[in-house]
Amino acid sequence: MFVIELAGVRIGIDNRYPFIERQCRAFLCEGEAAAFTVRASSDDILEESNHGEFSDAYCESICLYRHICEKIADYNVFLMHASVIEVDGRAYAFCAKSGVGKSTHTRLWIKNIPHARVLNGDKPLLKLEDDGSVTAFGTPWNGKENWGENISARLAGICFLERGVKNAIRPADEEEIIPRLSHQLYLRGSRESVNRRLMMMDALVRAVPYYVLACTISDEAALLSYRTMSGAQE
Amino acid sequence: MQINKDFTIQKVGASYVAVPVGETSKTFHGMVRLNETGAFLWKQMAGKDCTEADLVDALLGEYDVAREIAERDVHRVVEQLKENGILV
Repeated sequence: MFVIELAGVRIGIDNRYPFIERQCRAFLCEGEAAAFTVRASSDDILEESNHGEFSDAYCESICLYRHICEKIADYNVFLMHASVIEVDGRAYAFCAKSGVGKSTHTRLWIKNIPHARVLNGDKPLLKLEDDGSVTAFGTPWNGKENWGENISARLAGICFLERGVKNAIRPADEEEIIPRLSHQLYLRGSRESVNRRLMMMDALVRAVPYYVLACTISDEAALLSYRTMSGAQE
Repeated sequence: MQINKDFTIQKVGASYVAVPVGETSKTFHGMVRLNETGAFLWKQMAGKDCTEADLVDALLGEYDVAREIAERDVHRVVEQLKENGILV
């Protein structure tokens, strides 16, 4: 049992395997007080391992994050599947179907944009603030590349990536935001928690600008998305 | 027919989104998007058994539309929900 802080919420982790504690090392905090505690039952772990060929320790970690996402909805926090990059205190999120090139585009930002660092490469948390803004938070669950830090930044925009033969970015139409976004939000769980997350999704739709980027693997692609997204709110 | 009770519906942006909750979320992945009419019909079918004719009457009681348009809209929404296994 140990305590981590995610998106400003203290969470107790009642673990079976040491794997998760190592994974969470950058997020550990002192003391035993926690807003809630999560544990994965052997049934949870078994069900998870049926889907693939992963170790029980890894499956425990996945189950624990699911449970966290269910409970943390009470604190106006939810999971979005995205790569989030922080530049000078602002966070930029990239969403894409798997294999499209989220990691590649992230790598191009890090290479081309001064001060850019990966906040979380795969499963960041977003917090809906009282003023309607959204803050992105790093988490210990950060994808196979393991890119991420225990940092947070105000979300400045969300960009849906697509492969293209040339680079072009445009604002997303209101009609396409919801279907695109819904693929990237974790919406499973109890009715109460899912309802809370849908309300947060409704707020998220209005909270930040959205873009669609058709891109090639090139420095120009990263520079185009950075210039467009960073200029939008200035 | 009746809506599978393991779904929740909420307005998100300009449309309505229905997603499975609890056990159903393990077998049904994804969501259903509905417009205003679809969401109205959904609410008619939530928690009570009704026929397409009941839905047409409910729609005509709420909106100023011609009967054949109401019938077409009801049929379209019902088929969409049936395809997704949401109507039982």
